[in-house]
Amino acid sequence: MLILTRKSGETIRIGNEIRVTILDAKGRQVRVGIEAPADVTVHREEVYQMIKKQNILAAGYQDSIVKNLSQVWNKLKNPKEAVE
Amino acid sequence: MKISTTRFGEISIDESKIIHMKTGMLGFEHLKKYELFIQDEENPFWWFQSVDDGSIAFVVINSLAVKPDYEPVITDAEEKLLEIESHDDVVLMSVVTIRSDPFKVTANLRAPIVINTKKMLAKQVVLVDSDFPVQYPIKDNGAVHQGKEKANLFSSVLVL
Repeated sequence: MLILTRKSGETIRIGNEIRVTILDAKGRQVRVGIEAPADVTVHREEVYQMIKKQNILAAGYQDSIVKNLSQVWNKLKNPKEAVE
Repeated sequence: MKISTTRFGEISIDESKIIHMKTGMLGFEHLKKYELFIQDEENPFWWFQSVDDGSIAFVVINSLAVKPDYEPVITDAEEKLLEIESHDDVVLMSVVTIRSDPFKVTANLRAPIVINTKKMLAKQVVLVDSDFPVQYPIKDNGAVHQGKEKANLFSSVLVL
């Protein structure tokens, strides 16, 4: 890992199009400003991991699971029919 | 063109209905082409099937069906990326997580799939500084049908 020391207001450039600026540092918190092209996604790591994990889980369902879910859903919408 | 899928066997798809993702789904960045399948009209759960990899398909639901007042903030940069000219062209879909208890199904409102139906461009947008949860419970509150009406832009999508 490349480690650089920067002061508030100073910037790091990554490639031609990405700029990371240290806006503010107070105690244990650092505010970072990121300028990147629209097709470069920027996420908080923990949010990224959470969504990725959910996507991976969601990509593996079988067709039958959704059919079952749909049946349950329809019963939920029509509770009278479900009783009969 | 025809593609071979794990769940639906070999299916023919109309190339004009292919949704092109700008950055791919998170965790599936290499897959850029998808097709939205409606299994039947009564089923609010649809499939977002990868065209490139037949084994990958996400269960999705129209985000407005889950939360009718859902209005995520899409940045100007993202609107530009997706070539969005009018909000009427936009459909928001949420990835669904299914659990063993079917009443505990959730939808991801934190990272909707934003689709420009006019240009067939999409991106899974991770909302910045948003309180919308990754796992929002889907409840039957009559909203599903309202959402379906709003999703009629996709009425011409291939029905399996």
